Amino acid sequence: MEKFDSIRQSLLERVAAEAVPRDVLKTPQLKELYAGISALPAEERGAYGKKINELKAELEAAVVAREAAMASADIAPIDVTAPWDENTEPQTLLPAAGGTTHPLMREMERLSAIFTRMGFAIEGSREIDDQYHMFETLNFPKGHPARDDYDTFMTVETDEAGDQLIAPAHTSTMQNRVLKKYKKNLEAGEPIAVVVPDRVFRNEDLDARHEHTFYQFEGVYVGRGVHAGMLISTLKSFLEAYYGKQLDVRVNPFYFPFTEPSFEFALSCPFCESQDQACKVCSGEGWIELLGCGMIHPNVLKAADIDPNEFTGFAWGGGIERLVMMKYGIEDIRHFESAKLDFLRQF
Amino acid sequence: MKVSLNVIRQYIDFELPPIDELVAKINAQLGGVEEVIYLGEKYKDVTIVKVVECEKHPNADKLSVCKIDAGTGELIQVVCGAPNVHAGMWAAWLPPKSVVPASFDDAEPFVLGSRELRGEMSNGMLASARELGIGDDHDGIVEILESDAPKGNNLEVGADFAEIFGLDDYVIDIENKMFTHRPDLFGQLGVAREIAGIFGEQFTSPEWYKTMPEFSDGSGELSLEVFNEAPEKSPRFMAVALNNIEVKQSPLWLKCALIAMGGKPINNIVDATNYIMLITAQPTHAYDYDKIRGGRLGVRMAKHGETITLLNDKTYELTSDDIVIADNEGAIGLAGIMGGGNSEVSPETKSIVLEVANFDMYAVRKSSMRYGLFTDALTRFNKGQSLFQNAYVLNMLMKLTGGMQASEVFDEGNYNDDCTFVSGENISELHASSPHGITTKFINDRLGLALNDQDIERLLTNVEFMVKVDEKGLGIHEPFWRTDIDEPEDIVEEVGRLYGYDRLSLELPLRSAKPTPANAQRELESTLRQVLMRAGANEVLTYSFVHERVLQAANQNKDDAYGLSNALSPDLQYYRLSLTPSLLDKVHPNIKAGHDEFAIFEIGKGHGKSFGTDEDSLPVESEQLAFVYASRHTGEGAAYYRAKVFLEFLASQCGLELAYEPLGGESTSPTVLPFEPKRSAIVTDKTSRLYIGVIGEYKKAVTVNFKLPEYTAGFELDRKAILDLISDVETSYRPLSRYPSVDRDISLKVGASLSYAKVHEALEAALKTGELDTTIEPVSIYRPDDSDTKNVAFHITLTSHDKTLTSDEVNEVIARSVEQLEASIGAEVV
Repeated sequence: MEKFDSIRQSLLERVAAEAVPRDVLKTPQLKELYAGISALPAEERGAYGKKINELKAELEAAVVAREAAMASADIAPIDVTAPWDENTEPQTLLPAAGGTTHPLMREMERLSAIFTRMGFAIEGSREIDDQYHMFETLNFPKGHPARDDYDTFMTVETDEAGDQLIAPAHTSTMQNRVLKKYKKNLEAGEPIAVVVPDRVFRNEDLDARHEHTFYQFEGVYVGRGVHAGMLISTLKSFLEAYYGKQLDVRVNPFYFPFTEPSFEFALSCPFCESQDQACKVCSGEGWIELLGCGMIHPNVLKAADIDPNEFTGFAWGGGIERLVMMKYGIEDIRHFESAKLDFLRQF
Repeated sequence: MKVSLNVIRQYIDFELPPIDELVAKINAQLGGVEEVIYLGEKYKDVTIVKVVECEKHPNADKLSVCKIDAGTGELIQVVCGAPNVHAGMWAAWLPPKSVVPASFDDAEPFVLGSRELRGEMSNGMLASARELGIGDDHDGIVEILESDAPKGNNLEVGADFAEIFGLDDYVIDIENKMFTHRPDLFGQLGVAREIAGIFGEQFTSPEWYKTMPEFSDGSGELSLEVFNEAPEKSPRFMAVALNNIEVKQSPLWLKCALIAMGGKPINNIVDATNYIMLITAQPTHAYDYDKIRGGRLGVRMAKHGETITLLNDKTYELTSDDIVIADNEGAIGLAGIMGGGNSEVSPETKSIVLEVANFDMYAVRKSSMRYGLFTDALTRFNKGQSLFQNAYVLNMLMKLTGGMQASEVFDEGNYNDDCTFVSGENISELHASSPHGITTKFINDRLGLALNDQDIERLLTNVEFMVKVDEKGLGIHEPFWRTDIDEPEDIVEEVGRLYGYDRLSLELPLRSAKPTPANAQRELESTLRQVLMRAGANEVLTYSFVHERVLQAANQNKDDAYGLSNALSPDLQYYRLSLTPSLLDKVHPNIKAGHDEFAIFEIGKGHGKSFGTDEDSLPVESEQLAFVYASRHTGEGAAYYRAKVFLEFLASQCGLELAYEPLGGESTSPTVLPFEPKRSAIVTDKTSRLYIGVIGEYKKAVTVNFKLPEYTAGFELDRKAILDLISDVETSYRPLSRYPSVDRDISLKVGASLSYAKVHEALEAALKTGELDTTIEPVSIYRPDDSDTKNVAFHITLTSHDKTLTSDEVNEVIARSVEQLEASIGAEVV
């Protein structure tokens, strides 16, 4: 044992002194220690082996620490307050011509601008939220099967209620907050009109058409005498401004827990004017299904302390990637989050 | 949800339009059609024939040579290898050139011909169940019995098999998601009713579905005790024992109907339970009576740790939250999801127990998620089936299975305690006893329509609602299968959908001239991206989630990051703590793609446990901007200064003045951890000294881990801090002077370790005379090799608002400043 301790001591000293401390890990002395195991009585082998393993781990830690110290000793400090380095010329920016903004962000700004012109306030969403906002306030009771339709990322960590936190699967997670924030509008005789364009998440496998991270724009409009015809008309007006042309629109019944009635909203294909059987955007269907919408469920209004007998409203949610992909003919949704300059510099 | 039009037609009494029109109507008023399959195409050539002669093949022991009558006027010869082929039987014949239906969807469908088999001509083939795609049976050909034909059809030679057995059918697959709130639409009956409703036709449920059966006491030949120990989770549990059961193949019409509805024929008993489920949406189950131990069957909560082996041959260890079906000895089924293997109906079964029960939708959903079991029964139970159709369903099921009722019909549970569907003088037992009160105005207000009471009454009664109109408005009694009608808005939806959403009037809401509020964060984001674009940088977006590898490579602590518990992708393990690591991870791939020099930036959010929680007790979201400059060509001096130019440009465009302090090694904030303390700075607002961010080069290990070029640096800023600062920015405008400015260059020799900022500040202080405006621009920083001094040269502009400055005056200001500089920083003018 004394021998073991002295070997340990000498190896640690070598780690502290040698130019290449990592070499110490390859020393034959360690191998010899291991080889010594077989010479021991069976009942002592376990304890001895453990001791050598501990020594090995100790040496590795010492090597890492020494390496870090050596690396940092080599690093020359600089004068961070200087505009440029000693003995060099002033630095320049890159040519402005090579600069780009992200196509999704550009589109988000564009559609935000249209909605702003239409009288909607723009709000952001969250990337980590609780189930109360994602589900409960949206009329998804705990354990409701409709929750299965949203492949929601959950965290390991839980909130105060002991529920896992979530990465919102839709921007509707902001509905309750914006209804509450702008409720004063209703008291002042003004409607609540908000659009939330932001990042959302679905726990999906990736392919050319599916991303786990994408962008939606949520719309909420609440006031007196608001009806389903206004929902369709508002979205139609937005899309006509967005595409700069007259469009036909269509709603099909759908189910969302947070709207009643609920619709799937489609527009006539603005790319082929619904005329081209071979149109790549609408696949010759003439219609493009773009978003989900509906009249806000009374329970959602109640959750924000708004009386559903006095006020009614509509809401919608749609994807932004889809708009951009159709516009430019982008073939793979995964490009958006790839940070590939070859892709980004085309916009 | 697969819908068979031939089945639908059995329940409606009007002609359906051509398929395209029908699908368009279903899309518009019922639910999204995912697929339309024409089964008839697959079966178009299958012909019903009679085997007239059947003799042994002269050259093959196992083959027979048959003469069949296919109604063509002459007999056709077919060689058949099936042991059960015999003269006088009815069979299904696949003529030459036809495709074997089972291979119809294959890449290379099997096309039959006329060819010699051991010297005997064979034209086409006589088909087995497997070849027809209606069963697994391949031991013999399908023998069609007179009893196989659906009621009203007789077998005739040459008849179209598909037509007689309902396979000349369109199957419409409607998205399940549409029906999350409509348990009734998981049965053909419910869909038939809705189809009538959207065509404005009256639907009438079949008698068996609306006439309360009167069950007899049964023969009592089988002893059965039924218990319900979990009425909270199984509010209704009906069961009955039947004997004289013969387990066999189902009649062909039933097999074919199952196929059309997406089912799979097994035997007459299992098929009957599936058929009734596909029609009514109520799952049912049949147990082999003799395998139920102790003559007791019922429902209870599982005991913690209790195990069960299900029909899929897998064994599960249960929790006390699972509902189970049990006999006297133990659990024999996971309620609402799957039966147990040990009580399965088999060919030897002589007596059965039929179960028609209800289970709590939340509990069965939880169990299903827990064990990853998804079945047709679960799909229906987790929508919450009506408690009031069990008796109708059980009655019909008993007729389908055949056999003799050998016990009383048990009906155990507490559902009667809050029964809202009761028989009464004016209320049919189909309808809720208490009406939903609603007015036509309420409906019109929400749809923007001008319907009258009668319009609404007609739309709703078509789908068997009961509507009573009086001076107070409409009293709507929903039928028992409509578990979704809770709120008046649910009736609005029903009316709007049945009326047709394509008929809503388009009208924009009116707005006042009040300005829309601005969003300062979004405006700042827009500014930042525009400015950096002008600086030649490229905006990127990367995932909010990262692999542990990225955190560790960036010298961050994964224990600070929120973890994802259920990500499908192994790359998504943690919420990112800051944006820089994500950007660094994208540098090397872009270098490899041939980009030698670039700057990328991202506007996003970081999350970390150490950031604390907000007023809603939710994790604080840190709004960040990260920027990385990278170049394969090593530039002059430290890369740090290259990144700094971008930051200074950004600051000036936002109206900010920044100060830089050496980072040092103390900070443990995840944002600064990737940065090398000796070559990085904390960025603050020059006036308030409030934190804005960090700028610098990356730690050696980080550079190696991300394979970064040597000449790489960047910054990460707190956007919230910037927003707070720029909202306070005051423009420091000075009226223009009417007098010319005077320029001077000055070079100061100072100690090499004295920071540039100190020199600049000292010069600024020295020049501050009170009456002159001064601007100071750096010109050069020169330090001879290894010298302990350096020369910092400045370009100075002096401006007076009172007079034209003379050379003497300027010289005097400079001389005074030099003196002061000597005193303050030991500078020497060179």
